[in-house]
Amino acid sequence: MPSEQDAEEFRPEKRLHSLSWLFIFLHHNRAILPLFVAVLVGARKEAYIGLTVVGALTVPVLLNALWLQFTMRYGFSESGLVIREGVFFQNVRTIDYTRIENVDTTRGIMHRLLGVAQVQIETSSGGKAEASIRVLGLQAVEELRAHIFEQRTQGQEAEGGAPAIAAEPPEELLLSLDAGELIRYGLIDNRGMVIVAAIVALLADSGIFKEENIEPILRSLPFLELPELGLMISIVLGVSFVLILTLAIRVLSIVMALVVFHDFRLSRKAGDLHSQYGLLTRISLTLRQRRIQVVHQKSSLLHRLFKRTSLQVDLAGGIAAAEGAGQNSGNKALREVWLAPVCLPSDAERLILSALPQVSLGQINWNGLAPRARARRFRQGVYTWAIVITAPAAWFLGWWAIGIFFAVLPLLWLNASLYVKTTAWALHDTFFIYKRGWLTRKISIVPLNRIQSVRLTESPFDRRYRMANLKADTAGASAPGRRFEIAFLDREVAGCLAVDLYRAAAAPLTQKSYTG
Amino acid sequence: MNGIINLNSDTLPDNVDQEHSVDPRAIKVWRWSVLGHSLFVIFLFLVGALFLLLNYRYLWPVAAAICAVILPVLILTTLRYPKAYYRHLRYRVDDEGIRIQKGVFWRTLSFLPRVRIQHSDVSQGPLQRRHGVSTLKLYTAGSQFTKIELDGLEYDTAMALRNQLQRNETDDAV
Repeated sequence: MPSEQDAEEFRPEKRLHSLSWLFIFLHHNRAILPLFVAVLVGARKEAYIGLTVVGALTVPVLLNALWLQFTMRYGFSESGLVIREGVFFQNVRTIDYTRIENVDTTRGIMHRLLGVAQVQIETSSGGKAEASIRVLGLQAVEELRAHIFEQRTQGQEAEGGAPAIAAEPPEELLLSLDAGELIRYGLIDNRGMVIVAAIVALLADSGIFKEENIEPILRSLPFLELPELGLMISIVLGVSFVLILTLAIRVLSIVMALVVFHDFRLSRKAGDLHSQYGLLTRISLTLRQRRIQVVHQKSSLLHRLFKRTSLQVDLAGGIAAAEGAGQNSGNKALREVWLAPVCLPSDAERLILSALPQVSLGQINWNGLAPRARARRFRQGVYTWAIVITAPAAWFLGWWAIGIFFAVLPLLWLNASLYVKTTAWALHDTFFIYKRGWLTRKISIVPLNRIQSVRLTESPFDRRYRMANLKADTAGASAPGRRFEIAFLDREVAGCLAVDLYRAAAAPLTQKSYTG
Repeated sequence: MNGIINLNSDTLPDNVDQEHSVDPRAIKVWRWSVLGHSLFVIFLFLVGALFLLLNYRYLWPVAAAICAVILPVLILTTLRYPKAYYRHLRYRVDDEGIRIQKGVFWRTLSFLPRVRIQHSDVSQGPLQRRHGVSTLKLYTAGSQFTKIELDGLEYDTAMALRNQLQRNETDDAV
């Protein structure tokens, strides 16, 4: 391989940013930091022992960080980006320019204050980022980007292929979210709830809610005289407390939305999508066309109330997968790759088409589930209800439980009807689309050439009803909710559909080129 | 066979190979592994029965009943289940890839196009080696079914099948 020879001859000379050691140190100490806090909080008197332990753990990390700072070099050889680590045990890695898919940056508050960025070099190999450079100055990042993309274009031209990126194509803005949209997003998403729960859990864990801590506070408040105020005022106080709490959580959610998705911009350049967002941690992502696997549209009840919807994509490999594996707990937001955290339903189609140009959503011939799906779903609901709810109810309430059991049956029937009514699928030339859910409506669009394998499952119950369960696997569907699965299909239909999907998945990959 | 989707239905083209069973010697290997699982379950039940006897001596009929029901069931399973599993395990290779059908109670039919196979393994445990069978493992770039296994192939068949499935182009199938 020419690149290996290159690596031997070529000596990379560029160094990391002079503050890199700090970021490397902090990154590796993420795991120890909670320990540090625990030591300080937990053992007050014996803290010095804990501090010694923590010190013993962190000093080697600091030395390692400094060592990396002094020894790591990178540079641009003829064929690829060369990264060298170590002196005694040298590790030289060459990443061909043509293989590099993305150069993504992540910038936290500290990065922004110090004018640096963490750089991930992504290739199409899937899994984690091929290389992560922690950290570079902004100018160095620009130089890196320019160099890589220039070389890549030249390489492709030299190989005789059409130049993938014509001389700086115009960047087309697809979506930008203003404060109003972000406030809506905050109201819909309600992530503040999670934060409040986490804070309460943390406080409870630290023992703040112990009686001796709470009692003086309670005494100092006028609560003790509550009974004397009368029932009405007590109720008013209680209700207003709940209201204020709800309001506070909503406000917190809005603030979080404003911070996390500040100045969200989705743009298209040479067929690839770029998204940027974040006030404190500014995230810049490149969603290369060929890495986009599936587009998910999700509209919860609140989305519909605000006349909005949301769009996410599954990416093959890359950041999403690496973060999903829990490598870097600081960047959880990246687990979800947003096309639009919130957008108008009328914009959704345009955005989906920008992510998956091979799709045409003009006319979709929806197909439903097996004829007896509703009855089966209803029966499932009844059995579950009988076991989970009615048995304990019978224990506590005696014969009243029968009443409760029957009172819920119409609701279960309604749920089954809506389930069957809202679950539908359609197979078209280039893509498969399916929708499900009546409370939270979800639509997933899978280009056929993204399907990895297909699986039909028949349980003994399925056999009795002549039904089957169809699953199609794609890359990057890490979360269970993203998985592609249709239950209660007619067996014959499912069989034909599975064979069709299998054929399509086996067909030569026509959509390989990212120029579309 | 009243199994999962009939593989001989007219939805398939004519050039498709016939469906194959795996090597019947695999039954012996599976019998040992089922026996291992059975012994573990028997052990758990015996511990439970012993616990009942020691603490609530008057419950001895329950313990006896458990032993009387569980033991024959497990012995029967050990003898019969591997055969049934063998009967229901079929595979078929065609131009597009491979389909594998397996399962006695919960039946699955996996379709794996050959262009989607990232890499493949043929593995053999000590028991398998003694009986001359092996497991073909096919890996995809998917997220849910990253490894699709075909157990009980004769070693040479497994190697041949793996070579047959090896894709020629160096397409990046992601």
